[in-house]
Amino acid sequence: MPRYYFDICENHHFVRDDDGQDFADQNAARQEAIETVASIAGEGFARSGSRQVIINVREGGAPFLKVSITLYVEET
Amino acid sequence: VSSDAVRAALVRRLRISSGITDEDVGEILSLPITVRQYPAERTVISDGERATECCLIAEGFCVRSKTIADGRRQILSIHIPGEIPDLMSLFLHVMDHDLSTLTPCTLGFINHETLRRLHQRNPNVAEIFWRDTLIDAAMFREWIVNVGQRPAPARLAHVMVELRERLKVVGRIAANSFDMPLTQEQIGEALGITAVHVNRVIRQLREDGILEFHRGRVTVLDEAKFQELADFDNRYLHQSPST
Repeated sequence: MPRYYFDICENHHFVRDDDGQDFADQNAARQEAIETVASIAGEGFARSGSRQVIINVREGGAPFLKVSITLYVEET
Repeated sequence: VSSDAVRAALVRRLRISSGITDEDVGEILSLPITVRQYPAERTVISDGERATECCLIAEGFCVRSKTIADGRRQILSIHIPGEIPDLMSLFLHVMDHDLSTLTPCTLGFINHETLRRLHQRNPNVAEIFWRDTLIDAAMFREWIVNVGQRPAPARLAHVMVELRERLKVVGRIAANSFDMPLTQEQIGEALGITAVHVNRVIRQLREDGILEFHRGRVTVLDEAKFQELADFDNRYLHQSPST
């Protein structure tokens, strides 16, 4: 199984993933990244005032995927 | 592990939580128990299966869980030596969730008929086991509150503090560390978040100097911060006979 690394950046605070995790294929890793970015954003936006979460996924050494969520709040 | 050691773990726990008398201890110690060894991550009894015996954990860790149609699993509870995670199967005959091992386990099995006769003969023991299943229910209430309302770092810390409180009763903690033999994926299944989110939370807790989690062992770095984050009140564990 290929190993994927999920570097997470929340409000410009970057945390590099040196452990990595195994997933069956790219689809499984993509699904994990989407669920994770949504779950971190869901908590961070509501509770600690975060506005942006970005996950960069590496497959082995190479960049594979970037997933991001940004919050916009506008008074109307 | 002998079958005596299997009974001893249960008695030790009941002495603390239920104020069990020596006579009742004698009754429990004389129960016939069949000891079996299980490897890690093996199902003990499955959802939908008819139970004919109860399972007492002598060594190792188990979980109860339920899997939904698309294959996702929710871990409902973590179980430690001295506990009977399927005690309710004595009255609820068909399992409504799975019981499986996390680590290699020594399990003692007590036949339902034997337990039922003990209940009828000795109402004290029946009350003690009834109380035990009520505490089990109290723990589920707390689990729902935790998973439904706390943010991920506090959610993880709460599960850890609870596990430590319970391990303390059976004498299985070191000065500032204890076993929690779950993978990050299994922690995700317990907390309702992804394994990658778990990994991030664990890194954050280490960065904040609160705790380290490595290869299934928790080391507390800052007890005060750990307690504060977990928002833990041990009242629901009812660990003394008067509560």
